[in-house]
Amino acid sequence: MKAGGSAKDEHHVPAKEVSHGQEAALLRATLENMSQGVAMYDVQHRLVTWNELFRQYLDMPDEFLGTDRTFSDYIRYLGKRGEFGDADIEQELAKRLALLSRSHSFERVRPDGTVLEVRRDPVPGGGFIAIYTDITERKKAEMQLREAKEAAESASKVKSAFLANMSHELRTPLNAIIGYSEILMEDAADRGDAASIADLEKIDAAGKHLLHLINDILDLSKIEAGRMDVYLEQVPLVRLLDEVKTLVSPMMKKNENTFVLDCEAAIGSLRTDVTKLKQSLINLLSNAAKFTKKGTVTLRVRSDEAAGQNSIRFDVIDSGIGMTDEQLGRLFQAFTQADSSTTRHFGGTGLGLTITKHFCTMLGGSIAVTSTPRQGSTFTIRLPLSEGEAAPVLTGAAAAQSPPEEAVPGAVTVLIVDDDPAVHEVLSSTLSKEGYRLVHAYGGAEALEIMRREPPDIVTLDVMMPKVDGWSVLGIMKSEPELAPIPVIMLTIVDDRSLGFSLGASEFMTKPVDRTRLVALIRKLAPTGTGGVVLIVDDDPAVRGVLKLSVETAGMRGTEAENGQAALDWLAAHQKPALILLDIMMPTMDGFEFLERVRKQSQFQELPIVVLTAKDLNERERTFLAENTLLILSKSAQPIGTLGSALAAIAGRHQRE
Amino acid sequence: MPKILLVEDNEMNRDMLSRRLARNGFEVVVAVDGQQGVELAASERPDVILMDMSLPVLDGWEATRRVKSDPQTAAIPVIALTAHAMRQDEELAFAAGCDDFDTKPVDLPRLLQKIAALLGGDHK
Repeated sequence: MKAGGSAKDEHHVPAKEVSHGQEAALLRATLENMSQGVAMYDVQHRLVTWNELFRQYLDMPDEFLGTDRTFSDYIRYLGKRGEFGDADIEQELAKRLALLSRSHSFERVRPDGTVLEVRRDPVPGGGFIAIYTDITERKKAEMQLREAKEAAESASKVKSAFLANMSHELRTPLNAIIGYSEILMEDAADRGDAASIADLEKIDAAGKHLLHLINDILDLSKIEAGRMDVYLEQVPLVRLLDEVKTLVSPMMKKNENTFVLDCEAAIGSLRTDVTKLKQSLINLLSNAAKFTKKGTVTLRVRSDEAAGQNSIRFDVIDSGIGMTDEQLGRLFQAFTQADSSTTRHFGGTGLGLTITKHFCTMLGGSIAVTSTPRQGSTFTIRLPLSEGEAAPVLTGAAAAQSPPEEAVPGAVTVLIVDDDPAVHEVLSSTLSKEGYRLVHAYGGAEALEIMRREPPDIVTLDVMMPKVDGWSVLGIMKSEPELAPIPVIMLTIVDDRSLGFSLGASEFMTKPVDRTRLVALIRKLAPTGTGGVVLIVDDDPAVRGVLKLSVETAGMRGTEAENGQAALDWLAAHQKPALILLDIMMPTMDGFEFLERVRKQSQFQELPIVVLTAKDLNERERTFLAENTLLILSKSAQPIGTLGSALAAIAGRHQRE
Repeated sequence: MPKILLVEDNEMNRDMLSRRLARNGFEVVVAVDGQQGVELAASERPDVILMDMSLPVLDGWEATRRVKSDPQTAAIPVIALTAHAMRQDEELAFAAGCDDFDTKPVDLPRLLQKIAALLGGDHK
């Protein structure tokens, strides 16, 4: 019908004059032209009207399309045909009938993979209308988007890891270049060979610049990979500022700048990460020195109150070339300087400010900048003075205070094989207290060398190592008669998924939780139609709240426990839930221990448990996992018993820590 | 002439540092792994030990612990050298019994200062 015709028809042919037959034809035409399947039921739930798409979507044979057929007949028919999987047909029917009194919608996946969105609305006077929309394509597109997003995220992670490794590999030859040019400079100085000195200084300076660049890239990739840890301690500011002054003075001399350190006498101390604060200040000061000629660079430090919070304010003020508003806008982005010609004139990596900004955020503070072209710039770092820092704390106090380990004569020797020094630290502090004699190896080849010379009693082996990985070491060990009997504990710290699976997790999800996926998982794992209970175990009430919403979206009831112990208690006092959603990092009892305990009880062995883990394990979590989980694998040919008993002792001791 | 024991597995680093230390008036003894380091500490009785931390056979932490637990060598100052310029490494080195700490690549004037400070008045 043309748009213009509508008003004309209305005018010349009043609605009441349309005959019943015409109206029915009009309705029929409308129904058949819809891109959705439609079915209308009367007050007795008899199918009154439907369109061709309804028949197609549901694949209904003709005998079911008649007015003597009811909604219940049709649901039972679909159920018998297997459209609801293994679910109880009468329960499925009851569930649907209960929902008919109000408008509702849900998604249904047909056995052929078609996804239908079903919407049912009651109509005035009784009965209801059901509308079916084929959303298969939309779902497919959503899935592709999600996969693309996940692929992009994993690519970004791989990139960060690659950069971190690459930076390390680049530094080794660079150290040789710098070191030998310094030796040659000293030789040349002894000979009084000024021309060679000038050339060697250029090699040295270029090498150092390159090293600086690599260090910046390494820092940035660590930050992006979530692997940069904050190490908080009480920092006396006067001493820190003196150090900074010593370090930046040579830079200031280069452009004949005057450096002024303006600091309150009673500035006191600040709880922060001294390395990151120092690096941030030096970044700002070296920039100021670079962009100022024959001027003044001031570092002003004041205690300050901003937004009701006591803080320390560091201003780096220069009288240099300054920046335009446009340049300011790009300032903190990686790999951009005010403009590309800046790099040619002034050098630098363009990463310093990006890193500084990240550091300030990690320290719970902020960075700001004001600038006027040709007059100078002021960069301001504010760091909070209060104790309640949001930043994660990794205290080295435990490591620093633990007495040096003494080798007890005749003690059990444990060879720790891991490329990560942090793991050595954690395991050392735990195992040395138990009287073990510890030997350390930082790579697979080195580990084998040590084992062959001095066979240890037990080996802890990291799975993920560069060059020769844990599996290869294990394989070689088991092929050598002298090494084969040595019990091995595989440590998987990166791969907590397999650890969880081996302990009995049904599924894994990473946090932040994708709600659509979660709802789909719940539907997959929990017996449909039971209206069952989902036990949500997480120490964060906000996370529990969000999960509960998803659970209810899936048509189930959610109940909460704040840690593993609370969850065990709940299980003991209630009927078995349909499903458990389980966080790993929790106080009192963590997810791994909970998993182990629950799986020991026969009635819970088949209970579906979805483990929720943080996407990127940071240092704290890796430490936590290293401290709390020792994965015992029986990859050897020998029976688990012999291997297991030696290791269970360690694992048990470990767990009680 | 003060004697320095340099424990370093990387050949180039060992060569560079030993040559530069020798130029600055030290007698230099080198060890290529932690085990050899512990042995040479006992037999050579150096005035200072420069100890790399990532060493084969015995790592630097363990080697330092052994040097410090042997009454014969316990008094010899140990300076830890590590490529990871991380705060934790410094703490770890001190926990193992090191007397001072420096990062690689070595800044020679700074390292010489630290050596001088540890030698104190005993070794002129």
